[in-house]
Amino acid sequence: MSSLRERMNRLRGTRAPEGLDEPGRGGPERNEAAEPPGPAWTALGVTRLANDAGECLVRRVVYPLDYRHGHHRLGELGECAGALAALCSGGEGDAPAPEAERILFLDLETTGLGVGAGNVPFMAGIAYFEGDGYVIEQALIRHPAEERAMLEHLRGRLRNRPYLATYNGRTFDWPLLRSRFILNGFGRDAPVEPWHLDFLHPSRSIWRNTLASLRLSHVEEERLGIARGDDVPGSMAPAIYFRYLRDGDPAPLADVFRHNELDMLSLACLSIRFGRLLSGGLGRHVPLPEEEEELLRTGLWLERMGRTDEAEALYETLAGRETAGDWCLLLAARDKKCGNWRRAVLLWQRAAQAAERQGWASGEAHIELSMYYEHRAKDYELALRYASAALELATRRATLGRFDAKRRAEQEAIRRRIERLAKKAERTLAREQTLF
Amino acid sequence: MNRLTGKADSLEEWLNELRSRPEFMRHVTHWETIPAREAVYAPLPRGLHPKLEAALRAKGIDRLYSHQASAFEAVRAGRNIVAVTPTASGKTLCYNLPVLQSLLEDPSGRALYMFPTKALAQDQVAELQQLVELMEADIKTHTYDGDTPPTVRQAIRNAGHIVVTNPDMLHAAILPHHTKWVRLFENLRFVVLDELHAYRGVFGSHVANVIRRLRRICRFYGSNPLFLCASATIANPGEHAERLIGDKVQVIDNNGAPSGEKHFIFYNPPVVNPQLGIRKSSVLETQRIAAMLLRQSVQTIVFARSRVRVEILLTYLQDAIRQLPGGKQIRGYRGGYLPKQRREIERGLRNGEILGVVSTNALELGIDIGQLRACVINGYPGTIASTWQQSGRAGRRHGTSVTILVASSNPLDQYVIRNPDFFFNRPPERALIHPDNLLILIDHVKCAAYELPFEKGETFGGERLEDMLEFLVEEQVLHRVKDRWYWMAQSFPANNISLRSAAQENFVIIDITNGSRVIGEVDRFSAPTLIHEEAIYIHEGVQYQVEKLDYHEKKAYVREVNVDYFTDANLAVELKVLHVDREAESGGIVRQFGEVAVNARPTIFKKIRLRTHENIGSGPIHLPEEELHTSGYWFSFSEETAARLGANAMQSALLGIANVLIHIAPLYLMCDPLDIRVYPQVKSVHMKRPTIYFYDRYPGGIGLAERLFELHDELIEEAKRLIRGCTCLSGCPACVGPIEEVGLLGKSQALQLLEEAAVTAP
Repeated sequence: MSSLRERMNRLRGTRAPEGLDEPGRGGPERNEAAEPPGPAWTALGVTRLANDAGECLVRRVVYPLDYRHGHHRLGELGECAGALAALCSGGEGDAPAPEAERILFLDLETTGLGVGAGNVPFMAGIAYFEGDGYVIEQALIRHPAEERAMLEHLRGRLRNRPYLATYNGRTFDWPLLRSRFILNGFGRDAPVEPWHLDFLHPSRSIWRNTLASLRLSHVEEERLGIARGDDVPGSMAPAIYFRYLRDGDPAPLADVFRHNELDMLSLACLSIRFGRLLSGGLGRHVPLPEEEEELLRTGLWLERMGRTDEAEALYETLAGRETAGDWCLLLAARDKKCGNWRRAVLLWQRAAQAAERQGWASGEAHIELSMYYEHRAKDYELALRYASAALELATRRATLGRFDAKRRAEQEAIRRRIERLAKKAERTLAREQTLF
Repeated sequence: MNRLTGKADSLEEWLNELRSRPEFMRHVTHWETIPAREAVYAPLPRGLHPKLEAALRAKGIDRLYSHQASAFEAVRAGRNIVAVTPTASGKTLCYNLPVLQSLLEDPSGRALYMFPTKALAQDQVAELQQLVELMEADIKTHTYDGDTPPTVRQAIRNAGHIVVTNPDMLHAAILPHHTKWVRLFENLRFVVLDELHAYRGVFGSHVANVIRRLRRICRFYGSNPLFLCASATIANPGEHAERLIGDKVQVIDNNGAPSGEKHFIFYNPPVVNPQLGIRKSSVLETQRIAAMLLRQSVQTIVFARSRVRVEILLTYLQDAIRQLPGGKQIRGYRGGYLPKQRREIERGLRNGEILGVVSTNALELGIDIGQLRACVINGYPGTIASTWQQSGRAGRRHGTSVTILVASSNPLDQYVIRNPDFFFNRPPERALIHPDNLLILIDHVKCAAYELPFEKGETFGGERLEDMLEFLVEEQVLHRVKDRWYWMAQSFPANNISLRSAAQENFVIIDITNGSRVIGEVDRFSAPTLIHEEAIYIHEGVQYQVEKLDYHEKKAYVREVNVDYFTDANLAVELKVLHVDREAESGGIVRQFGEVAVNARPTIFKKIRLRTHENIGSGPIHLPEEELHTSGYWFSFSEETAARLGANAMQSALLGIANVLIHIAPLYLMCDPLDIRVYPQVKSVHMKRPTIYFYDRYPGGIGLAERLFELHDELIEEAKRLIRGCTCLSGCPACVGPIEEVGLLGKSQALQLLEEAAVTAP
């Protein structure tokens, strides 16, 4: 053995790495199977979990349904879970309306990134509603050989819960689990793909421009009224676990349990948040967003989820506001697609006025108006006027900033539009004159 | 012959005319005419699927060549094969037929094709798809490489019957994510490895380990694929294939493909200085001969040994022939060109727009450039195998072709050109790999552990697996639980391991003449001698001077210049023996094999005038020293012998022998001459005696020095024969080296030393 190390060091041209003289190993080996977890473990509140596939540890915490975490009370999910059906993706066929008890909440802590075969989940946080409580079960493996037992436990919990609630679980947690089931030889016994309630997707739809980050801890702080305090960041978890593997001291894992537990609670709150949104709770259970951007994104998302009336109400609220911003163009684009020309024109006009006031904004609204008057209202004079204003804005922008190929092409396009409109306007004028 | 244009009507006529020119024939040491070969056919195999048969007939194939039929039969009998037949002999059908037949019989089956480069893979898919279309069968063939868009990757993973990829992709993308490829691995029937000879040296050693990992994953999913390989002619195709795939292989070499008449001409440039044994430059002679062919409108490929030579030859040729008929072009082709440029050149060769191409051995591989009529090789390519491979670029199934080998004055060339028997009657070299190189092996044990935990009792390569696993436990990347070892680290090991040793560390070359633009790249090992500051770097015939070398960022900034010289750099080397593994004595010489540490530092560069090749100046190179731990082989002469010769004589004699040996060593190894280095020492620190060292230029060694250790006696005999047989008076570049280097008595002293050693043998 030492000779292999010597040879390796010679070939690499290095000395033995420092601090490695006493290889730390065997920590976990002290925890021989079938032995009850020692006092250090008991302090973490874990117990042994044994099943046909072996054993691992589990920490069980039950929260009462009236426990309030941030803005929401856990029991609220019972009132709105059914509405989450609209969010379901993956799985086989259309998802029926979920009941709270049939949803499994999941968050994995893993040893690495990505879904390669060597990335091992060392803690599987799961949670579900049962009776009067929200049950959180955090399975932990003391060493990789216990993974099978953890997976078997998970499989059991998935059995009557065909919905999987996660944050980014559709692209990370679930594919990783599927890979783990294969690697651990479950074969055809591996669970089938559940219906995903992956809250990252609606979060991204609604908050992508309003929140600085879409990390769960940031979203919950900004929108769910949750403050985590001195939580360890999730990215530290692998290092803490590796240290435990080396020295066998489980105490620092307390932080990982805590972090994961908070994630499980936040997942429940997110499901309530979106459940409320999808069951007409906006303005009652969920405060109306302050920023127009968020309000609009909420409307667009509700519309996509099939709640068109509520979405329309939000759009009307927006249209009634005095302000103008990028959201005007976004809503106008939506209206243009649906043929709601009245409101689209109103919004474009508002955006165009704002752009003219600013002086450096783009002429996008002007172009839209120009197109509207040319193709729909057939008022070439007005179309020409908007196109000329757009060119003016574009020229002004060019003097202010970088003038690249893209901008040049933009300007060229406007010039061509103006030429065309000028001809059309002239012809119309001529026709009108011959008429009289 | 057309009197007005001086143009021959056919290549045959031109060759006849050449034969009648004494001023040319005087320098021809050998003219081999390889007669046309009749085809040997075999009927289409019985039981061939009707759709496959119909597709073959639609392509005009009503019968097979004998080797294709043998391959089919062997694979159907459940044997791994390696097909070894020349270029353009229909080798691909050897594996495509049995694979397609099996997929037609059972569409749930899968096949994995591997080619050493992306370009080759793409050529293959096109050919396969054409055949599949003719069959009207639902067999999906896809390339899966770095260019495959993410959107189609999932479909390929689940539904692709034939996945065509390269070893790098298998190593870094497929194996580490094998759980996404369950369909493929559960149903894998065939692994096809083409261009097997390319998997040698460091690259081959890595690939052998990737295949070990592949087999391990297949075992996990319960499949046991057959390996269908194809290789250019090498001495040990069976052995090489078996080492690569770790299993028994049947060699298929009963070539039945026809070939046209082929002329192979050995040309030795005239001696210009008989005393010094100096010959006319092989580059100028190559240029002259290639120009003659091009003026005859014969599509010609010119091979040169180095990138620099390619550029020099290209410049000379473009100068010599300003205008080609029909606006046709002469282009260069080599590793440093960007992929897009290379594809364009390949296309131009196929459609005839490019009449002449000057290339390094990059075009030796099976990249489809069509079949040319003439091949001029500047300098012996170093191995018999690659000489045939290069020569195979000229020659069609019907019609005459010609290859002209122009010898340089280096000893290996001179040996080969004067001993045509050696070339024509000796089997080509052996492909060597050393998959158990500890550094390479450990890297792949890591990757394998990432892919699947190791269990006690498993094996992986020649080292004790448990020792390696425990080492990795100490390195804190594996975690042992009872009899299993698990990957337990945040990193993704395949990312840090490149199969092509230097590929990840290439230096890019940035032309800053106008703005900045990347014009090429150079591998790490060549960088100190090719792109040190003030070096002249030639690219596509244009000269650039290196203004700044950013060693840490791996960038060289160059500016276009127009000078009449090129540069050549010197390396200072120091060598220490770390460990002796083997020892033997024969013929009065003690030899050892073991581990050595080599420190190399570039010292100065010389400026050498174009065309006259005279030294016109020099300058220092300031670059960090590189340390290399590798395998070495060395031998020493006894003290009695040393005493008899005296210190000065010993110096020249050692140098002379070293020069001879390093030039003939590649005759026995299938390697680039730069892969094995020599280092003579009058009083070796390790042996305390006059010693000559050889070492592999790759950390941990790749088996070259060890092979030389085994071949020692033969090597020494060959060296004596070469020195005795050389016609020079007292040493020349073709034997012990020029007298400026080894002294006036160098030649006789070298011979004396070798003979003395034999005499004092106990």
